[in-house]
Amino acid sequence: MTALYGWTGKLLRVDLSTNEISTLDTSQYVPKFVGGMGIAAKIAWDELEPGIGPFDPENILFVMVGPLTGTLASGGGRVLLAGIAPQQRPPVFSRSGMGGHWGAELKYAGFDGVIVTGRAEKPVYLWVHDGEAEIRDATHLWGTGTFSTTKVLRSTHGPKTRVISCGQAGENLCRIACVQTETGNAAGQGGFGAVMGAKNLKAIAARGTQGVPIADPEDFMQVCLEASREGQSPQAGKASPGQREWARATAERRMRKCGFCNTPCMMSLHMNVPRKDGEGTVNVVRQCWGYRAEDERAHLEGRAITSDYGLNGWEVSYGIIPWLQMCKQHGLIEKIDGMNIPVPDEPVEYNRDQAAVSSEFLNMLLHKIAFREGEIGDALADGACYAADRLFDGQGKPLLNHIYPRHAGQTNHWNGHWGTGGNIYFPFWLVPILQWCVDTRDPASDSTHQFTEHVLRYLPEHGPNRGPLSFETARAVCAKVYGEPDVCDPRFTYDRPETKAIPAIFHHNRGMLVESLVLCDREHTRVFSMQSEDKAADTALMSKLFSTCTGYETTEQELDAAGERTFNLLRAIDVRYFGRNREIDERVAKDLTHPAFTDGIKLDLEKFWPMLDRYYELRGWNPANGWPTREKLAELGLEDVADELEAEGKLG
Amino acid sequence: MATVSKQDTKSIQKLQRSGVIEFDKKACLTCRECEVACSLYHEGECNPERSRIRIDFDDFVPGFPDARVCKQCDWPACYYACADLWDDPPLSIDEKTGVGYIDPDRCLGCGVCAQACPLTPERQVMFYKRENGKRIYFKCDLCKDRPGGPICVEVCPSNALTYVSAEERR
Repeated sequence: MTALYGWTGKLLRVDLSTNEISTLDTSQYVPKFVGGMGIAAKIAWDELEPGIGPFDPENILFVMVGPLTGTLASGGGRVLLAGIAPQQRPPVFSRSGMGGHWGAELKYAGFDGVIVTGRAEKPVYLWVHDGEAEIRDATHLWGTGTFSTTKVLRSTHGPKTRVISCGQAGENLCRIACVQTETGNAAGQGGFGAVMGAKNLKAIAARGTQGVPIADPEDFMQVCLEASREGQSPQAGKASPGQREWARATAERRMRKCGFCNTPCMMSLHMNVPRKDGEGTVNVVRQCWGYRAEDERAHLEGRAITSDYGLNGWEVSYGIIPWLQMCKQHGLIEKIDGMNIPVPDEPVEYNRDQAAVSSEFLNMLLHKIAFREGEIGDALADGACYAADRLFDGQGKPLLNHIYPRHAGQTNHWNGHWGTGGNIYFPFWLVPILQWCVDTRDPASDSTHQFTEHVLRYLPEHGPNRGPLSFETARAVCAKVYGEPDVCDPRFTYDRPETKAIPAIFHHNRGMLVESLVLCDREHTRVFSMQSEDKAADTALMSKLFSTCTGYETTEQELDAAGERTFNLLRAIDVRYFGRNREIDERVAKDLTHPAFTDGIKLDLEKFWPMLDRYYELRGWNPANGWPTREKLAELGLEDVADELEAEGKLG
Repeated sequence: MATVSKQDTKSIQKLQRSGVIEFDKKACLTCRECEVACSLYHEGECNPERSRIRIDFDDFVPGFPDARVCKQCDWPACYYACADLWDDPPLSIDEKTGVGYIDPDRCLGCGVCAQACPLTPERQVMFYKRENGKRIYFKCDLCKDRPGGPICVEVCPSNALTYVSAEERR
């Protein structure tokens, strides 16, 4: 094949230490590694060396898009970031994605990704436009927030310029600094804003007028149209009249989506929000996470300040604030800067228990964190897990138990054990827990949502919830999709580990495809559909989109193998460079032994270990150490990876 | 194909009325699916710069989004300008639907249509692409050959875009 469809064919490489800009041919990595995460994993495997820290010039910051980015395939505005992530404990090679319009703009500018190494002498930003890239001085942007950075770069390069940037938090190397785009899209987890800050890279501005050529436009259009007829939940097809009425804009609020997406995820843009604790007004996006604030205005203002500083709002709202409240309840701290830490009457056990904060408190806290102000700000700037090592003589450490699997340094999410995400009941929370055990981050971003926000809603019995499908129907669909009918049945717990391990593996592999193509996990992969006769969703959707877009005819099984390949490659990176093994996987589970917030049931480790054994077996990893086996790696076309692991004595 | 000769335009006759795409700025989600669907259908690629419809918005600026797409004028200045200039005008009126469309194979890239458009330049709805160093203009033709009607209307997830037929037009 001569012409490349879907991909632009070029990856941009920038070494900020030498000011060298070059390009790599995408074609050497595809279709085998698909794009995005897959290509990043391959390059990281080839180029990383042991002992590199997140803030070292040698750390590689990947800002990647995929063959479906910027196309009609829903989710096409997204971008994936990867690199050694400072928020993780210890820092490991991880990933974080975000929506908005930037990903598509990079594609239109002619690149499948930007790979940044080195460290600039003084602050710079990258200006990427129509096949070209320039390193430009960013002294005038340093010290400003993401909002004004975006506005200044738009006035410099034109109103249609799209910008990703780090705020003051990234400049100050806060381990919880995110990379921000628009007024509220962020690659939040991992601390990649601080990786940008460490590289003296303030922003990447992109603008392009080149299109994404599609191999088979008619068929691709048809697949996209079919995909958009599915709704996210059993209730939603296309937006209902009620939703449409609710979604109508007012002077204060209009609904908005990320670029090139039609998933009904109800993100809103709030306009002219008065700053309660400052001057003027701001625009800010509201989506799933939020602060427990005294009123909506304080909440919106908190969001705006968080986005402007480039802080991980998830960590502040669901990690730091409740942890501080717990610390106060245990007599470790009373006030910050003379301001009382608000606490509820009852002990904070789960996220829902936290007391509301005022905008004054929130603004003070965010400022201290972003600017590393004082001992407490300096400690909290690295997230509560790192802070607990430094503050209160370590006495706050046991209080992290309910909030974090501490290896990830990220709050429990959709695993039933803290209360972020939604309600999930035993035994179904075993699926996300298996995913948490083997991942390098909170897996909800690309893998867990598929199961928890889609699959569970249809099931006949999930805790007290009753979905629209009968056991007979759900069983038939699960047999078809997973090859295991009992995935839908809550009566099977530890005694049938396959019923949890199979969906954990399936959706994790699909998650890697979501991050490689690059799409949105709220859209892919669906398992059930109310529209189809047998109530099974078209799980071949991703491979159909991929095939018609790129012209590489690829079956569902072949594409799934690519997802599995990427997952195994990431595992191999973790094993080779960061010492990942079964003991660390188990450490994650050991942090999840308190009663689940939904049903009060505890994870039974004695019964869970055999389930983990079975997970490794199904993965093709050695249950003794959790390392991938040569057999599995060879099956996935990764013999060279097996050779390297063997040479280092880390082959399973 | 109904083409109007140069002689006809001298008498400036009223043309067959066409339908139009209407935009509800309070429903738009600024996803820009319409932009890439349009370029995919007409150009075989996903490229907002080759779309016949453009959504303008800036999340940092309060206010509603705006859509730029041909208003399908009853007295289309673009059509008259083209027909007046060329013996074989590439901008024609479709017999079936009454919509004005540009034949890309015959467009010479003069741009007189875009200059004549009363919305130019503030709300430009006629655009050009460059092929082999030559400009080729394009405008919304309501996907006149597509059985399902305009593709942008079909993909819009919030029904912010609607197709209004010639008979229903105000």
